[in-house]
Amino acid sequence: MEQEDGSAAAAAEQPAGGAEEQLAGDLLHHFERVLYSDPLIDEVGFLHPTQFNSLGCGQDGDSAPQDSELQRRYFWCRDHKLAISAEILPELYRAARDAYYSSRNAPLPPTHLMSHTKALLVLCPDLLTAWNSRKRVLSKEYDFTKLKDELQLCALILSYSPKNESTWSHRRWVLKQLAEHHQDMAELVEKESVLVKELAERSKMNYRAWRHRCWLIPYMTRKQVLDELKKSTRWSELHVADNCCFHYRRSLLLALLDSRLENREDSLCWESETYLLWKEELRWNEMLIRRYQGRESLWNHRRFLSLWWIQQLLAVEETCSSMTSQVDLFITQEICLLSECLNDPADEFEESHAQGELSALYILWISKQVPAVNGKLKEGLHSVSIRGLKDMLVRACRPEKTRLWMNVLSLADPSQ
Amino acid sequence: MAELAADQHVRYIVTVEKKKDSFESLVMEHIRLNGAYWGLTTLDLLHKLHAVGAAEVVDWIMSCYHPESGGFGGNVGHDPHVLYTLSAVQVLCLFDRLDVLDIDKVADYVAGLQNEDGSFSGDVWGEVDTRFSYIALCTLSLLHRLHKINMQKAVDFVVSCKNLDGGFGAMPGGESHAGQIFCCVGALAITGSLHHIDRDLLGWWLCERQCKDGGLNGRPEKLADVCYSWWVLSSLIMIDRVHWIDKEKLTKFILNCQDKETGGISDRPDNAVDIYHTYFGVAGLSLMEYPGVKPMDPAYALPLDVVNRIFLRK
Repeated sequence: MEQEDGSAAAAAEQPAGGAEEQLAGDLLHHFERVLYSDPLIDEVGFLHPTQFNSLGCGQDGDSAPQDSELQRRYFWCRDHKLAISAEILPELYRAARDAYYSSRNAPLPPTHLMSHTKALLVLCPDLLTAWNSRKRVLSKEYDFTKLKDELQLCALILSYSPKNESTWSHRRWVLKQLAEHHQDMAELVEKESVLVKELAERSKMNYRAWRHRCWLIPYMTRKQVLDELKKSTRWSELHVADNCCFHYRRSLLLALLDSRLENREDSLCWESETYLLWKEELRWNEMLIRRYQGRESLWNHRRFLSLWWIQQLLAVEETCSSMTSQVDLFITQEICLLSECLNDPADEFEESHAQGELSALYILWISKQVPAVNGKLKEGLHSVSIRGLKDMLVRACRPEKTRLWMNVLSLADPSQ
Repeated sequence: MAELAADQHVRYIVTVEKKKDSFESLVMEHIRLNGAYWGLTTLDLLHKLHAVGAAEVVDWIMSCYHPESGGFGGNVGHDPHVLYTLSAVQVLCLFDRLDVLDIDKVADYVAGLQNEDGSFSGDVWGEVDTRFSYIALCTLSLLHRLHKINMQKAVDFVVSCKNLDGGFGAMPGGESHAGQIFCCVGALAITGSLHHIDRDLLGWWLCERQCKDGGLNGRPEKLADVCYSWWVLSSLIMIDRVHWIDKEKLTKFILNCQDKETGGISDRPDNAVDIYHTYFGVAGLSLMEYPGVKPMDPAYALPLDVVNRIFLRK
């Protein structure tokens, strides 16, 4: 919370002007007052006047008696939810912008600037320059409470503008300030992760939100990375079309590989732990693939998992040969999965066609990424009566995909 | 097939500037310099740059300049950022008016934002993104000042953002995204470092962006959007894999997103038009050699004749 009532700023700085300017100045004053008096506001809505009126503002007598007519007509705030009547948005925005500009270079206490930028950013969170003004004030001296308030403001804005680049960027700046002065980031990181999870719930495939979550990974301990993996399992199962959450899991898995390298003492134990995790991820992914037909993000995840897996198996087999080749076993399983996807009872639904196509492109992808297994793939295909990659693609793919796979196929083997 | 409503688009761009009073326009005023780049490049692609007064535009651009830092703000009175600095330089290139710049000052601003690991911050506050790497390299190259930075480190950072699927994200470990891929491929093209790319793998990922409706999306499982016509196509051209997608279907998709009466192009058919998608639609058509549209350079995102003027005149 700001130390003093910054909303007094709007009242004090009102330029002497016409009635219209007076009204705009009053509006801003009330708006800043509302924001100041409830620092825990967690939702903002810009409502059409008819919608706004249906909130029954001021009629049940719970607004403070000092609230003016103006405040009741255009602002409504209860249970930390704020509604603003959309009819005053242009005037309010202009008033906030002008107040911000004039306070920027004026010899006023920083509370004025903080109050005006807050009002302005709630209306238009894209304003990089206004965020920068706040950074300037905040970086004068380290103040844990103020930085936490800043996170609150960002969370408020993200609740209705979850893709806003400037707000995410400002949030990262705040977190970096905290990290510099704060050894233990564990709790903060956990809270950030929950925030992203909740926002991602309402805003599907939100690149910026998930990018923020990936950005947090280097701040995590190995235990946190493992917890994050565990915790995001259920969420991913409920959002199988959200490629972002699967990418997040990939980043977590890769982070585990990295941290294994950094801590050589326990490398053997961690190696086997990661190995088991990877195996489990493959099993889990296959289960989802069978349950949710035709999902690109699930197959993309499988491409990633299988690539690393096969490479590990090949490396192991190079050093110690065993009776049964693990690579052979794995390839046989994958061909089995392909065969099931291709032979799914042809129904009217597009999903099963998509499933067949994605499974074929998956096998093609593996064959291009790990040429060492091409022989085994071909054998496997023959065992399920498919004459080769081309035959597989002809059977599985829609004509519009032909151009792509023909080009990919011709790369390695012009005879195909 | 539908045709490009070029005259209507020109009229739309020229008049969009005049509707400044709505709340929607007000909250866009901080990126007016980006808007100027989108609108004016579209006009130039359609051979109509003369529909606006060059002197007036150049004056306004210079009013967004910060002589102390050497960067440009998104509008008068806004803080400088590389996002707007590139737009300013690009628009000045369109009008062949780089002479109004203190070139070394602007180049120093951009070069000063390079970090120890080779990445670039967008401004003094330190946010890092591969978009800023592209912007920095593109700006410096257009100003013939690439020597002011550590190029090797800049390239290494971009390469460190490559994923196992062949694509690139906003930072190391970031999810592949067609917009970020354009930035990374563009950055590598400008620095002559395309050999860091597995062309077939990336080409494959990019081609999988073509949806059933012919349009391109920016990531798996997303709907097609006109803006990705530019991000994906330009990347495919730079890595020489553009023949892997169906251009005819994509052209049809873009043309279906036009408002043929009042001009402008939207993200998807029947949606509201805006200047951003109008630019990306026309730019996408340009990359597919649509008749009547000037050819465009896929790395510098400027008409080819403008880029040639800059690099051949030297």
